[in-house]
Amino acid sequence: MGRVLRTPLGAAAAGTVAVVLLLAVLAPVLWTDAANAVDTGQIQQGASADHWAGTDSLGRDIFFRVLVATRLSVQLALLATALGVAVGLLLGTAPLLLGARAGRVITAAVHIAVAFPGLLLALFFAVIFGVGTTGGLLAIGFALAPGFARLTHTMVAGVAGLDYVAAARIAGVGRLRVLFRHVLPNVAEPLVVNATVAAGNALLAFAGLSFLGLGVQPPDYDWGRLLGEGLGAIYLHPEAALAPGVAVVVAGLAFNLFGEAIAKGVGLERRLGTSTSRFRRRPRVAPDPDDSAMLVVENLSVGFPGTTPVRGVSFSMRRGDAVGIVGESGSGKSLTALAVSRLVEEPGIVEAERLSFLGADLRAGEHRRLLGTSLAMVFQDPMTSFNPTMRIGRQLSEVARHHEGMDRRAAMARAVDRLAAVRLSDPERRARQYPHEFSGGMRQRAMIGMGLMGKPALIVADEPTTALDVTVQRQVLELLASIRAADDVAILLISHDITVVEQVCDRVLVMYAGRIVEDLPAAELRTGARHPYTKALLAAVPDMTTDRELPLTVIPGRPADPANLPPGCAFAPRCPLADARCATEDPELVENAGARVACWHADVPAEVIS
Amino acid sequence: MRELRFDGVSVRFGSRGHRVTAVDGVDLTVPAGSVVGLVGESGSGKSTLARAAVGLVPLSAGRVTLDGAPVPTRGRRPLQMVFQDPYSSLNPRMTIGATIAEAVPRGTDRRAEVARLLALVDLPDRMTRYPAELSGGQRQRVAIARALAGRPEVLIADEITSALDVSIQGAVLNLIRDLQRTLDLTILFISHDLAVVRYVSDTIAVMYRGRIVEHGPADTVLADPQDPYTRELLASTEGRSR
Repeated sequence: MGRVLRTPLGAAAAGTVAVVLLLAVLAPVLWTDAANAVDTGQIQQGASADHWAGTDSLGRDIFFRVLVATRLSVQLALLATALGVAVGLLLGTAPLLLGARAGRVITAAVHIAVAFPGLLLALFFAVIFGVGTTGGLLAIGFALAPGFARLTHTMVAGVAGLDYVAAARIAGVGRLRVLFRHVLPNVAEPLVVNATVAAGNALLAFAGLSFLGLGVQPPDYDWGRLLGEGLGAIYLHPEAALAPGVAVVVAGLAFNLFGEAIAKGVGLERRLGTSTSRFRRRPRVAPDPDDSAMLVVENLSVGFPGTTPVRGVSFSMRRGDAVGIVGESGSGKSLTALAVSRLVEEPGIVEAERLSFLGADLRAGEHRRLLGTSLAMVFQDPMTSFNPTMRIGRQLSEVARHHEGMDRRAAMARAVDRLAAVRLSDPERRARQYPHEFSGGMRQRAMIGMGLMGKPALIVADEPTTALDVTVQRQVLELLASIRAADDVAILLISHDITVVEQVCDRVLVMYAGRIVEDLPAAELRTGARHPYTKALLAAVPDMTTDRELPLTVIPGRPADPANLPPGCAFAPRCPLADARCATEDPELVENAGARVACWHADVPAEVIS
Repeated sequence: MRELRFDGVSVRFGSRGHRVTAVDGVDLTVPAGSVVGLVGESGSGKSTLARAAVGLVPLSAGRVTLDGAPVPTRGRRPLQMVFQDPYSSLNPRMTIGATIAEAVPRGTDRRAEVARLLALVDLPDRMTRYPAELSGGQRQRVAIARALAGRPEVLIADEITSALDVSIQGAVLNLIRDLQRTLDLTILFISHDLAVVRYVSDTIAVMYRGRIVEHGPADTVLADPQDPYTRELLASTEGRSR
C-alpha cells in the first residue's frame, strides 16, 4: 500500500478517492439546507457569484446539489459493487464447493452472462426489478456479477489445482475451510483490485441509469439525475449539466485509477529493481599474446541490485576441452554460463578482468555473429527453447540464413544434415515436424543440432539433461561426447549432478556461493577431491553401491544466500572442519599440481570428515 | 499397520476420441510395514497412481484397498501423501504451525501435537514461521510432518526429493527411513531415480507406460532384471556412477 501511495498516479488517485468519500460523508450534513432552498426569483439562472453552477427550475443552487448528491451517488455505487462482488464470489466459488457436475452448469451460465454487455444486462434487470433506486441497485449489482464471477472462478481454479489444496483435502479438511483458509487468501489481491475498478464502473453505470430516468427518482437526486435535468438547458447555461458531469467523471476516474495503481503496486513487488544492464570494463591486465586458450575468463563477477551471485570466477578452456561446473541452486553456475554467452539480462552487471572467446574481447562491442556461429547454447527445458508454431527444420535453417547468408534450400539441406548428425532418425521427415511432435529427448537433440548449424567451437550446456528421463539422459550425454570427439568442439557443461559432470567432462569446477571452491581433473574427483564441500557432494548422492544399512552422508545447514554471505569462507557454517580462521578469512583459490582449491583445511585427509 | 493394495487399477483421462490411459490395470501390493519403491520415467503413470490412491483422481476401473477395505474419504484418513514440490504444497499465507494443526484430528491438543510433529522432523521452534522463511529441505520436512499429523499407517511419497538440491536430498531420505522404522509405516515411495529407490525400498516395482512391468525384492530386481526397460534403466543409472 505504501508503495502505491509513493507513485504520483497512485497518490493522486488515492487523494481524490479520499476527497470524494469525505464529501459523501460531510456534504449532506453541511449543505442539505442550501441545496434544497427554493428561490422562485432565481429560476434557471446561469453561473454567478451567488450560485457557482447556476440554479435549476425551482431556483435551487446546482453546485450545492452536486455536492450533496455525492453521498447518494457513491453510496449506490458501493452498494451495487458489494452486491456484484458478493454474487460474483458466490458463483465463482460454487464449482469448488459443489463439485464438478453442478459446477459445470454454473460456469456455463456465467460464461453466457459474460457475453452480454454490462449496460444491456443492467437495463434488462432494471426492467425486471422496476424503475427506481432499488431496481437500479439490483440491476447494476447483478450486471457486475458475471464478470466478477468469471474472474473469481479462474483465479480459484488456478489455486485449487495446487498441491497445498490437494494436501489439505487428503488431510480431511472440509471444502468450506479449504475455500476460506487456502483459496480465498491467495486470490484476494487481484479480486480487491478488480472490485475497486468495478466501483468506478458502477458509479458511471448508475449515473447512466439515472440519466435515462431508470435510476434514482425525485425527490431524491444523484449526479445522473442532475445531469439529466441540466441537459435540457445546456445551450442556455451549460454549467448546470457540466457540474454533475465533472463530478461523475472525477469520481469514476479516481476509483478506476486507484484500482489500477494498486494493481501496479502488487505487480511491482514481484519485480526486481529497474537499473539497466551494463557491461563494465575493468582496467585490462597485460594481454597474453601466445594464448592457446579458446575461452579465457578472469575474475568474472555478475551483480544484481543488492547481491553479487558470481564473485571472481576465473578459468580457461582450450579447443576440445570438456569442463563441467557443478554446484547447488544459487551457486552462480548458470549465471557464469550466461555471462560467457553474454546472455545476462537486465538489471545484471557483468564485470571481468578478461573475458575473451576465440581472441575476441567479449567485454566490448557487438559479437552477435561470432557468438551466433561459434558458440552454441543448450538450455534445460527444450520445450521452451523452440518456437512452437514453426517447423523444426525452418528454425534450424534460420540460423544459417541469418548468420551465414545461405539460401533457403542450402540452409534446409544443412538443417537436415545436422538433424542426422544428432542421430535423429528420418531427419527429412523430422525437419518438417513441429516441436510438440518431438519427445523431450528428441527436442534436446534438435536443440544441440541447432547449435551445430554454425561451426561451434564451444557448446555451453546448462543442465541439458535435468528435464529428461534417466535413459534418455544417457543418450544425450553420449551425443555431446561424440560431437566433441568428432569436431574438436569444447563443452562447458553446467549441472547440479556431480555424476553427470563426471561422466562427460575432463575437468570439474565446483562452485559454492558464487565462487569456484575447487577445480580438479574429473578422473581424480573420487580420490583427489580436497575441498570438504566437494567431498560432501560426492558422498551425499546415493548410487547403486551405497550401503543401505547406513544413513546417507548429509551436508548440514542450508545453501548459502548470495545476498547475505558470512565474512569468511561461505561454506564455513556447514563445514565440519571450520575453525575461527574460516569464519573470518575467505580462502583464496590456490593452484597446486594441476588442481585448484580454496580451503584453509585442504590437506586434512578425507576420513576425518566422514 | 496396514497393507495397501491396488487391484486392477486403471485411470483414463479425456473423453471419447482423445482417451489417454495413464494407468493400465495395475496390481500392486504394499505389505504392511514395508517400503515399496515405484520407479519409472516421467509420464509412466506413477504420480497418477498415487493421486488415484488418495482420491485426487477418479479410478476408471479396479479398486484401492487398505487391509481389504476401501480407502476412507471422510474423517480420519489412514492414507497420507507427501508431494514432490515443497514450494507449491504449502500454503504461503499460513504459518507452518497452522498448516500442520489443520491436519491434526479433532479432540487432540493441537499445540502439543504440532510441537511433537515438528520435533519428529527435526524442526523445533518453527511454528510461527511462514513457508517463505524456510529452505526447500525444511519445507519438505514440514510437508512430511503434515502428512504424519493424521497418524497415518500408510504414506505415499511422490518424488519427494526431486525438487531438492543434492546436499539436502540425503537428509530427507534419512528422515523418511528413520520415520518408517520408528513408526512402522507402510510406504509407497515413488521416484524416477533408481539409486534413490534402491536406497529406501525393500521391494521395487518398475512402471512403464501405465503398467507395472517388473516387481520383486529389491536385490532380485537389481541383480537379475527380467524386463528390457528395467535393464535399460539399470544400465543408465550404473553408467552415471561408474
